[in-house]
Formats: sequence, C-alpha cells, structure tokens
Amino acid sequence: MPIFDQGYQHWSGELTGHGLRWLAITRHGVRIGMKNRLLRIALLIAWLPAAVLTFSLCVWGLLEQKSDLVQPLVPFLTGMLGPDVVNNPKAYRVEVWTLCYDYFLLTELRFSMIVVLLVGPGLISRDLRFNALPLYFSRPLRRIDYFVGKLGVVVVFLGSVLVVPSVIAYVLGLLFSLDWTIIRDTFPLLLACVGYGAVMSVSAGLLILALSSLSRNSRYVGLFWLAVWFVSSIVGTVLTGVNEEHRMRQTYRRAVEAERAAQAERPPKSPEDRQRQAASRQEAQRRMWADLQREQREAARSDWRPLFSYTANLSRVGRHWLGADASWEKLAETVPADERDRYLLENMGAQYPWYWSAAVLAVLFGLSICILNFRVRSLDRLK
Amino acid sequence: MKPVVEFHEVSKWYGNVIGINKLSVRVPAGVTGLLGPNGAGKSTLLQLATGQLYPSQGRVRVLGRDVWNNPSLNRHIGLCPEQDAFYEWMTGRDFVYVCARLSGLARPAARAAAARALDAVGMTAHQDRVVRGYSKGMRQRTKLAQALVHDPDVLFLDEPFTGTDPVARRELMDIIRRLGAEGKSVLVSSHVLHEVQALTPNIILLNRGRLVAEGHVRQIRDLIDKHPHHIVLVCDEYRRLAARVLAWEDVEGVRVLARDKGLVVETHAPDAFYGRLPELALEDGLAIKEVYSDDDNLDAVFKYLVNR
Amino acid sequence: MKVLPEARIAPAAAAARPRPSGRLNLVPLWALYVLTLRQHLHGRRWIVMGVLFLLPAGLAVLIRATAPDAPAAVVEFLLAFMFIPQALLPLVALVYATGIIQDEQEEQTLTYLLIRPIRRWAIYLVKLLATLTTTILLTAVFTVLTYAAVYVGGASEGLNVPRRCLTAVGIHGLSVATYCCLFGLIGLYTRRALVAGILYTAVIEGLLANLPFGLRFITVIYYARIMAYRSMDFTFTDHGRKVDLAAGAWQIDVRNDPGLLDQPSLQTCALVLTIAGVVLAAFGALFCARREFHVKTPEGS
Repeated sequence: MPIFDQGYQHWSGELTGHGLRWLAITRHGVRIGMKNRLLRIALLIAWLPAAVLTFSLCVWGLLEQKSDLVQPLVPFLTGMLGPDVVNNPKAYRVEVWTLCYDYFLLTELRFSMIVVLLVGPGLISRDLRFNALPLYFSRPLRRIDYFVGKLGVVVVFLGSVLVVPSVIAYVLGLLFSLDWTIIRDTFPLLLACVGYGAVMSVSAGLLILALSSLSRNSRYVGLFWLAVWFVSSIVGTVLTGVNEEHRMRQTYRRAVEAERAAQAERPPKSPEDRQRQAASRQEAQRRMWADLQREQREAARSDWRPLFSYTANLSRVGRHWLGADASWEKLAETVPADERDRYLLENMGAQYPWYWSAAVLAVLFGLSICILNFRVRSLDRLK
Repeated sequence: MKPVVEFHEVSKWYGNVIGINKLSVRVPAGVTGLLGPNGAGKSTLLQLATGQLYPSQGRVRVLGRDVWNNPSLNRHIGLCPEQDAFYEWMTGRDFVYVCARLSGLARPAARAAAARALDAVGMTAHQDRVVRGYSKGMRQRTKLAQALVHDPDVLFLDEPFTGTDPVARRELMDIIRRLGAEGKSVLVSSHVLHEVQALTPNIILLNRGRLVAEGHVRQIRDLIDKHPHHIVLVCDEYRRLAARVLAWEDVEGVRVLARDKGLVVETHAPDAFYGRLPELALEDGLAIKEVYSDDDNLDAVFKYLVNR
Repeated sequence: MKVLPEARIAPAAAAARPRPSGRLNLVPLWALYVLTLRQHLHGRRWIVMGVLFLLPAGLAVLIRATAPDAPAAVVEFLLAFMFIPQALLPLVALVYATGIIQDEQEEQTLTYLLIRPIRRWAIYLVKLLATLTTTILLTAVFTVLTYAAVYVGGASEGLNVPRRCLTAVGIHGLSVATYCCLFGLIGLYTRRALVAGILYTAVIEGLLANLPFGLRFITVIYYARIMAYRSMDFTFTDHGRKVDLAAGAWQIDVRNDPGLLDQPSLQTCALVLTIAGVVLAAFGALFCARREFHVKTPEGS
C-alpha cells in the first residue's frame, strides 16, 4: 500500500498567459469596493437617472404608437417640446432620443465623479502606504498588468453607472416602440454612449490612479480629486462668466453710444418726436439683445475658457459623439425665428471644437501615464 | 515589596472580543518578561498599563497611581511601542529631541537628554540621518531612545526585538540589562522565549487574555506537577545506566537516545534525582559525561502551560 | 512562588539628571504646537494648498489679460467673495482639520503623544490651534495675493483697496477657523470625515446657504456673507446703472429690506461664528478626552 507524503506538494500545472492576469486584481478590487456601504448607496442613487431615461424612451415609444397610456402626458410634452414635435414623434425620434441620452450622460457624469471619489483614492495609495507593491511585483506580474487591473476596478464601477444603464434603457425603449427601424436610426447613439462611457472611464480612471500614486494618504487623494472636479469647474465658470459679462458690457456700451449719437443728431422737439425716439430706442434695445445673442453664439465657437473644467471637456466630447448639437438645431426649427438664437444659446452649451477638449483629455491621459510610470516602480523600496 | 505595576481583576473587551480576561497580576521592580503567543493580550496589557486604553472592568495602577487620564504619571513611564511608526521626515536626533520636549524638558535639557539617550542605545553615529533611511535595528533603537529620554522609572517594551538581526538583538539586550541594573523597572513583552530567557527569569505568562503563570521560571516549572521533568544523561554505557535508574521509584520513564549515547529520564522529583546521580557514578563506575535538563527553560514551561 | 529580590540602587549620576517639574508645564504644549506646525508645513501638502490658493490670483491675472474692461470690483467679488469662500476655504479646512487626530492614528504616531504628560483634550486643542494658525496664515497670504492680482497696476475705481483686503482677510480667517473646528470634530467622530465634510459643504453650505429663508442660519457662509455685505460696498456704477453684485448672488433681499433689519448685525455674525468655533472645539476636546484610540498592531488588527 503506498504511503503518501502529507507535506507540501509542488504544483505542476501551467501558468496562464499575461492576457488575463490583471483580472485577478480587478476582481479583488471590485469585491473590496462593494463592501463599502457608501459606494453601494451611491451606485443605487446613480441608477435613478437611468430609470428616468428608460421612462422617457418608453414614453416616446408609446407616443409613436399613439398609445392611450401616454395621453395624460401629452400636454406636458407639448409645453416642453412644442406641438410640432409631439404631433410627429417619429420624425423627431432621433433628436428626442439623443437629447434624453445627453441629459442622462450629463447627470451621470456628476455621479461618476462621486463614484470615482469613493472607489479610486485608495487603489494605489494604500498599496504604497502598506508597502504592498512588492507583494504584486514579486509575482510574475508586470506593471502594465497591475495598472490595467487597478484601472479595471474604476472601469467596472463607471461602466455599471454609464454603459449598462444606457444599454438597458436602449433595449427597453426599443421594446416599447415596437418599431425595428429605431435600430437603424438610433444604433449610432448606442455606440456613441458606449464609446463615451469608455472614454470617461479610462480618462477618469487613469487620472485618479495617477493622483492615488502621488500620496500614501487616500484622504488627500480624495481631496485632490475634488479639486480637479470642483475647482476646475469653478475656474471654467468664472472665466466664462467674466468673458460673457465683458462682451455684454461692450455690446451695451456700443448701443448706448449709438443711441446718444442719434439723440445728439436729432434732438426731440415735440412730444411726437419723443414718442418716436422712445419707440426707436426700444427697437434698438431689441436689436441689441438679438445682436448680443448672435455674437454670443459666434463667440462660443471659439471660447476656450470652458477647457479649464475637466467635466466640461468630458461633456463636450460626449455631446459631439452623440450629435446633441445637431438635435438642438433641428428642434430649434420648430421655434419662432426671432427666438431661435436665444433657444439655442440656452440649450446648446459650449460650442468650441470638440477636438480641443479631446486634446486636453489626451494631455491629461499622457500626464497620468507619466506620473504612474514614475511613481510606481517595480519592487518599490521599503518606506 | 510594593509592586511597580498592578492589575486588579482587569478585563478589557473590544466589542464582543475579550482582550484581557479578569487579570490580576503584580509586576515587581526589576526586569520582568511578559510572554504569550500571538493574540494572548500582551499589547493590550501594555496599552492598559500606559493609559492608552481604559479597562472595561477592574483597576490598573502604576507606581501606586491610577493610569487612565493621568498624564502626570507619564513623566515616570516610558513606552517603546510595537508599531514601527515615526515622524519619518525627522532625523533620529530631532525625533528624540521632540519626544523629550513633549515630556516637558526645557530646550537645553532636552538636547542633552536626547544626546544621552541616543548614546545609550548606540545611535550617536546615525542621529543626523533621516529616520526614513534607517535599518530595522536602528529604528528599534531610536524607539528605545525616545522611551528613555525623559529618564522614566518604569519602562514598557513591546516586542523590542522584532525584526532585529542577532547583533542588534544582543546590543538591545545589553541595554535592557543595564537599565535593570540601574534600578529601572522594565517590562519586556515578547513571544520569542529564548530572548526573554536571556534577559530575566522572572516572567508573566499570558494566553488568550488570561494569566497563566507568574514568577520565577524555575519555580513555575516546579509547580507544573502534571509534567515530569526531562533530564538528559549522556554516558557510553547508557543501557546499563538505564537499568540502574529504572529501579528508582521517582523515575517514571526512560527513553534511549541510541545515536547520542544518552538517556532521557522522566522524573517527578528532579532534585532527588540529581542528588543520587553522583553515588551512581561512584558505585557502579558509570562515567556520566553530561547531565542537563531538557525542559528547565521557558520553551518547556510555555508548551506545558499553553498547550494543556 | 517567589519573586526576584529588588534591583540594585541606581548610580548617583542618575539623580543629577534634569526631570520635568511637577507643576503646570507649558513646554509639552508648546512642543506639540510646534510639532504640528512642522507636520503641516513639511512635505508636498502645503505646496499643493499654495497652488490651489494661487488660483484666484492666477485667474485675476488671466481675466485682466483677456478681458481688460472687466470691472475690478466684479473680478474681486467673483474671486474673493465667491470662489475663495465657497471652494477654497472648505477645501483647505478639510485637508488640514480632518486629519488632526486621524492622521496621527493612521500613521500610528499618536502613541507618542498619548504617553506624554499632556492631557488628551489638550492634545486636541493644541493641534487644532496649530491647524488654525496654518490655515489662517495661508488664507491671509493668498487673499492678499488675490487682491494684489486684481488691483495692482489697475484702477481702484475709488475703492479703499487695503481696507477691503484686510476686511476680506478677517472674514475669511474667521470662516476658515470655524470650518476647521467643525471638520476637526467630524474627523474625531468618523473615519469617513472626507465624505461627511464634502456632503456638508455641498449640501448645507452649498444649497441651504442660497435659500432666502430659515435654514441658512446654520451655515458658516451665510454669516460670512452678511459680515462682508455690512462692512463693504459691493455696488458699482455701470454706465449710469447701479449694480449690486452681492445682493442677487447671495439672495439678500435689499429691495424689501434695504437696511438689512432682518439680517444679523456685523457683531452678531462675528460672535456667532466665534462661539460656534469655540463650542465645536470644546466638543472635540471633550470627545478626545474620553475616547480610546486604537492604534493598530499586527496582533490587534
């Protein structure tokens, strides 16, 4: 009868390739992340806009079918979008779907920042603090596997907030409209959402990893992330606001000077003259506002100030890929001509070329890679 | 003699986990070893004794005074903590100087005390280097220096030899012995038995938060009546020797070590056994080359008490 | 069971060594104060804070370069009374104050303080005082830099700029001190002080402060705004039109209450913030005095 050795037994299997090594790190990170109650609550709350999106798409699908279920909502939709749009839902299907997704992604952008704040700061900073890097790199694990694994944690959580709800809402919207031509019309939208989700996840993920590698204290990393998010937004808003105020004052000053010049040329001699001048002043003011709005729309095409805001850059790239601007322009055709500029100004947002934002994100991408490469060395020295 | 540290019916629990369980012990002056396996409650005991934790039940007194929220007592207490934590950006001298100032010493006195403490632990040559660049032994010595800098009467050393190499360990032991000789009371905690054995025979043994034994190692060993003493005899005619000792009533068993030409004798009365050995050699001409006790040491005591 | 005989009597040299006196000794408190200041100022943290605080000055320079017609009063209001108090002051208080005890606990250096002859409440108060010193100093320096960036080399438009700058420094200093006392207390109560602080800043200071009624009385920024409004003039004349920058932005109803009779006085606001800070600091000290701090060891973790 053979007697078996009860001691250590050597493993004689084969190691898997490097292709999936990072998955172990990602899985572990996700498991740890899900133990955080605050994160679970944040994810739950982040799904609420997805519910609203799904509801909106389903309502539009039912509207296309002229279902009685949505009749109570028709007055509300008419007030929001105008009778032309509501009476021809199929003709404006792409635009409405695009704008629903646009608002959804804009809202989810903010929730994503919060999710990254809850998940990201400790990813590398804790490994540095507790000197866990030798535990990783003493195994057959390359630095790229480590980075991809850590990035995967952020991508999983952001994907569950951005991409998964987008896809589910799309499928449900499809089912509620019972019209397969929707796929032909809106499939690029789905691709744009997935692509935007990927860009958002990779950009935010790499940035938080880079910040996380800069400090051993995850609290400071969280605060740095807040600074990147809030402070950059405020900087962009302040600069844009001051610029707009400056332009308004210039336009106003031009109008006032023109008015004064006109009054100096033809001073009023009679009450009728004064009435005529008052009417022409009102007309001049109306023209001034119209000119101002047009100038603002023109200036928005080259206004670089929003580039200071990290979230504005992400949003700009997303809006371009979705085609939100084209949708607003089509909806603006249903608005009276004299209100069109104001309508577009209020709804379209930043108009500078989207590739400027893409360039900013690319620079941040490169900077993050450099920081990670510099800060995370194989077999980091003890303390 | 008044005890230096006194625990009276002390219990400490963390939520549902009991760290210390109805512990009553008095630590005398001099060097005392605090022993126990991992999780025995040694660090908890030291934290209670230094006022970092307060007892869930019972009373802790050091030098006759209650410890919790009694910062004036900290002038007489020094702690070398277990955790390897420093203000890493400081030099060794700066760190010990700051600790001296925190203890209430004026600037010139603190400088002198820091220099003295660093010299006592052999760190003068490295005192101007940043702590971040220190080796493990240097870090342990710097920790000991900050515990000594204000010249306390009682020292608590929590695992002071952790991670040190044999040379550093020997030097630290010499320092501790010297401190004991200078009149300081030192309570050294460790789970490495031979380290404590080299320092002091006076021990307190904890296991799972309970006091298992306290006192002199030899006396504790004598009190463990369940386990007979093991005495090793080395002799060329070991079989004849075995036959002779088997006739003695207090001998419970004999095991032959053929390779070493020796015997392991189990007896409940080691003193009587030792008393009879010379006449055995004289009477029968059995030349006993070596006699030693296999278990008159901390390892054996520890095993008997902790594993029973 | 016998115990060992007593150790030998100590050598004579030991008796000559200086020992701390038994009387009230401020030396440990001063040493702790200096130590905390050094902790705040070493490393990269203060550099990052400095860069953040330089943002308003940098923005001012950028605005003056790209929109030279923008009135200095508008730029001053946006940067010194919107950007700094809403974004930078809570941020700097979060960075420094939440870690008063938490950082020491996580770094496991808190033990070295607890085993010194310093009362626990005194440890907290002294570290808080050092934190206040750092944050107020940072705030003062960078507020002055912001004002310099806004006004130096440009028209002051009849404003007493040094007085405005000093007033802003005073108001910001008081605000950041109150934030530090609050976040220091939060840092003692919860390990998730960062999230709690952000929620407080975003929800309470960000939303409630902008309500034109009731609940804004519990916000720091409301009192700071009233103090600023009462002690400074935020109106400027734009082509014959008088524009009140602050009233609209801060939801102060000057139309129905031009004398601000419904708002607290300058002294009341200062007193409220001071008392709030003192009370919060006292609570923190009391909590610290009674609390155990579990410094992790491999055995106990």
